[in-house]
Amino acid sequence: MRDAASSTPAAPAPIPAPAALALQRAAIVAAAFCFLVLASLAIRHVQSRQADPWKSPELLALKERLTTQPKDEALKEQIRHMDLELRQRYFQHQTFSRYGAWLLLGGAIVLVALSKRAVAAVAQPYLPPTAGALPGRSHDPARRTQWTLAFACAALILTGAALVLGSASLLPRSDAALERLLSRRAGGDEELPVPSPEVASQQWPRFLGPLGNSCSTNARLPERIDPATGDGIAWKTPILLPGFNSPLVWSNRVFLAGADATNRAVIAFDAESGALLWQRPAPPNPAAAANQVEVSEGTGYAASTMATDGLRVYAFFATGDLAAFRFDGTLAWSKHLGPLKNQYGHATSLITWQGRLILQLDQGQAEQGRSRLYAIDGATGRVVWERTRLVPESWATPLLVDTANRPQIVTLGGQWVIAYAANDGTEIWRADLLTGEIAPSPIVAGPLVLVVSPNDRLIALRPDGQGDVTKTHMAWYTDETAPDISSPASNGEFVFSVATFGMLTCIRLDDGKKVWEQDLGMEVHASPAIVGNELLLLGRKGAGIIAAAAAEYRERIRFDLGEAVDASPALAGGAVFLRTQQHLIRFGRPAGTSSPTP
Amino acid sequence: MHATRITFPGRFLAACATGALALAEQRFPPPDFESGYQIPITQTPPPRALALQYLDVVLLLVALALAWYFVYRRRSRRGVLWLSLASLLYFGFYREGCICAIGAPQNIALALADPTYAIPFTALAFFVLPLVFSLLMGRVFCAAVCPHGALQDVILIKPVKVPAWLEQGLSIVPYLFLGAGVAVATTGATFLLCRYDPIVPLFRMTGSWPLVAAALGTVALGLFVGRPYCRFLCPYGALLRLGSLVARWRVRITPDYCTQCRLCETSCPFGAIREPAPAAGPPTALDRDRRRLGWFLLGLPLLVFLTGWGGSHLGPPASRLHPTVALAERYLAPAETRPPVATPTPESLALDRANQDPKTLLTEARRIQQRFHRAGWGFGIWAGLVLGFKLISLTLRPMRTDFEPDRAACVACARCFLSCPNERVRLGLLPPDAIPAGNENPRSEAAPR
Repeated sequence: MRDAASSTPAAPAPIPAPAALALQRAAIVAAAFCFLVLASLAIRHVQSRQADPWKSPELLALKERLTTQPKDEALKEQIRHMDLELRQRYFQHQTFSRYGAWLLLGGAIVLVALSKRAVAAVAQPYLPPTAGALPGRSHDPARRTQWTLAFACAALILTGAALVLGSASLLPRSDAALERLLSRRAGGDEELPVPSPEVASQQWPRFLGPLGNSCSTNARLPERIDPATGDGIAWKTPILLPGFNSPLVWSNRVFLAGADATNRAVIAFDAESGALLWQRPAPPNPAAAANQVEVSEGTGYAASTMATDGLRVYAFFATGDLAAFRFDGTLAWSKHLGPLKNQYGHATSLITWQGRLILQLDQGQAEQGRSRLYAIDGATGRVVWERTRLVPESWATPLLVDTANRPQIVTLGGQWVIAYAANDGTEIWRADLLTGEIAPSPIVAGPLVLVVSPNDRLIALRPDGQGDVTKTHMAWYTDETAPDISSPASNGEFVFSVATFGMLTCIRLDDGKKVWEQDLGMEVHASPAIVGNELLLLGRKGAGIIAAAAAEYRERIRFDLGEAVDASPALAGGAVFLRTQQHLIRFGRPAGTSSPTP
Repeated sequence: MHATRITFPGRFLAACATGALALAEQRFPPPDFESGYQIPITQTPPPRALALQYLDVVLLLVALALAWYFVYRRRSRRGVLWLSLASLLYFGFYREGCICAIGAPQNIALALADPTYAIPFTALAFFVLPLVFSLLMGRVFCAAVCPHGALQDVILIKPVKVPAWLEQGLSIVPYLFLGAGVAVATTGATFLLCRYDPIVPLFRMTGSWPLVAAALGTVALGLFVGRPYCRFLCPYGALLRLGSLVARWRVRITPDYCTQCRLCETSCPFGAIREPAPAAGPPTALDRDRRRLGWFLLGLPLLVFLTGWGGSHLGPPASRLHPTVALAERYLAPAETRPPVATPTPESLALDRANQDPKTLLTEARRIQQRFHRAGWGFGIWAGLVLGFKLISLTLRPMRTDFEPDRAACVACARCFLSCPNERVRLGLLPPDAIPAGNENPRSEAAPR
């Protein structure tokens, strides 16, 4: 409003009391509206947290149940329905919140506007006190401020101290401490580095030897083997716990695992004398039900061959118990991964790589998704990585292959040959080549990886592919009497495989052509071993054959150990070690006589 | 506006300021498809078009210029208010509070600390322009351009006077907040000032529930305490305060000379008006102030060193703000029992990745922690300087002849103008002879009539 005499604006007219009262009442109504909207939003927010599709306990419980009942269609439908319902509820909450926010904004604008008008309506003009001295500059506010700052600083110091002292960082304080920490985690619990692959290549650290191919040019078989007289047998030590796993050899130690329905143990012998050094029980799973697992008579509770990295030995049993022991017999760590779902019992052996234990744990049906490939830190037992495998139960041992500086783990399971990067478990390639119950383990021979489709064919693959290599990376295959339990062996020129019913086949590595085959006349489970230029073949009932590993079959000797043999021999230190049903045997000269230098 | 006591407590309890309760930020997993459906790759929204970014800068410049015009040329509270509303709508609700000048110091700090970081032009402009204006003409940015200030200005209903000692004590908090934000920004961990801004959730109408609650609390406080965020928390305002101290132009309550009528002494809801100060106080007080000043000056280096040392120790706990360090700490923590649930969580997946390559993770985490250690030193030194200079300023005795706004604290909102009779004479609301003769302040800096 402007003054008629000038162009300047006039002061606003005062608001009458009834209008001021009306403004106040309207503001109260607006405030009540805002409060109601806010309360609704708050209640809805609390409700929405319970209907979180990510964390809904009911949905998660149903999904967990689905892993044990994968074929339950009604359960799947229930999960789908609940999932959809939760998502719909989530978006309903979002819409409600959005509209509620706009309502609240509108109500707040009205409230603030009415409140301001109402306050202006009752506001009285300010009149300063009567004329007098101006209030002098008071030091009080300044002094009070200083004390305020002092108290605030003290409070901040205490808070900071509590923060620093109460939340100490776990990170190392210096680069040297970081190096020690990394070394401890990568190397060993004794802060020692894991022995190099060159050192490991002189030992027998896993099933079928350091390279996953049962062949040793250093070992020698005796001229004569006669268990009755002891000829050709350096020592023979009884084993008190049964098992089908093969022996490990590292330096002057031989390791075995044994287990029955109630006991699981790792046993160490002296390689020179066969004397028992120690026998340690693997810690049982506290959950009693996990210890009760069904296994077949042909597999037992300790079918999986152990592995060692030179610092520790690792053992895995059919109950799902995994244990790591130092060479002096002390327990390093243990884990329990059971109960396992395997119709025959777990038999896949362990391997190691750069201080990590690689465990292939295939179980159940493929669609159940229970199969896993683990990389476990050898020093601590911490799982470094794990990969889910959509394959059914299997019994073949994985193979470590180093191709073009890319270490990979080749596994067999179901219809698939799958290779994973050793450092992080990323899948590199796979091939659809297998059929049946997978028990024979892959081996490496020259530039090729040989895999066995049981009772079907022997296949040679080039392991330098990427993705699905089914049609692109098969070098050759042969369907000449493929085994179904034992694994082949190769000396770089020929490949030798033995079928369970006793047919020994020699195949040329270059092209897969059969060179010869020979019916051995005995049932065979143990994998053949190439010792120098000879083949060592062992029958289930204890019969043994030594023949030439050459272009024609030439049998040198036969012998009978007198007890069942299912494990494969170990070749290290120039000697041959064999586990029978009840004994551990070293072939060669008796104790006290010198053995060939490696 | 005059400060009065609260007369509507019921309205305060029942009333709510602008705000929204949004659902907590959640990760939303896709359904478990069995039909082979290929889940499309998540798309990220494209950045704001370059032309629109330049438009933001142009609008900022125009708004600053208009603010100067309304405050200094027209001396119009109405103009400032309308400009505030326009800024609130555009920079606040439409642009959702980002890009804003408050967070821009962090962009500058990160650009200086990390040569690989390319600072956006808009961030640079939003940092520089209001500062330049403050060096010339005071806090015109706070007056009518900053959406945070505009919101608080608009919702103020019945201002309560904050005791001077409390106001002075809390006035160091913006500087400390600024120091913390800049220090953390140099490490590349996070933008603290943006992450813990209590007003942006109102503009976006979403946020985690603690921040939304803080926003509602700030607004509720702002109904009765004038501009609580600007006065006691705003880190950019701390920089503008420093610029305003040396501004070429400054806000004056009177357009002419101060009549010492004291009608304006309660007109500022933000406690920014200072009364005239005598030339000299009692001699005993002078000695006490001088002694105190001497001790503070002598003790300043020790204070700075101690706070710097203390700040360096805050580095390790603060480093957990960085996701790499947080993950490394989780990796090194005693092994947890794996939950029986088969569904992986983002945290468990991150831990799995850490397990694959701990060396890289731990080495990087240690490097980041060392960065935080250095940043902690910087923050501690800054805090020591802030505290020291504050204590020193409390011993100083500025001379004032008139009632005038504090250079640093005045946000140039133009509320005090109409309380001055000379202003009312200028506007024609009072006749020229309404001011009795002989009322001139002989020591006034303005020319007499």
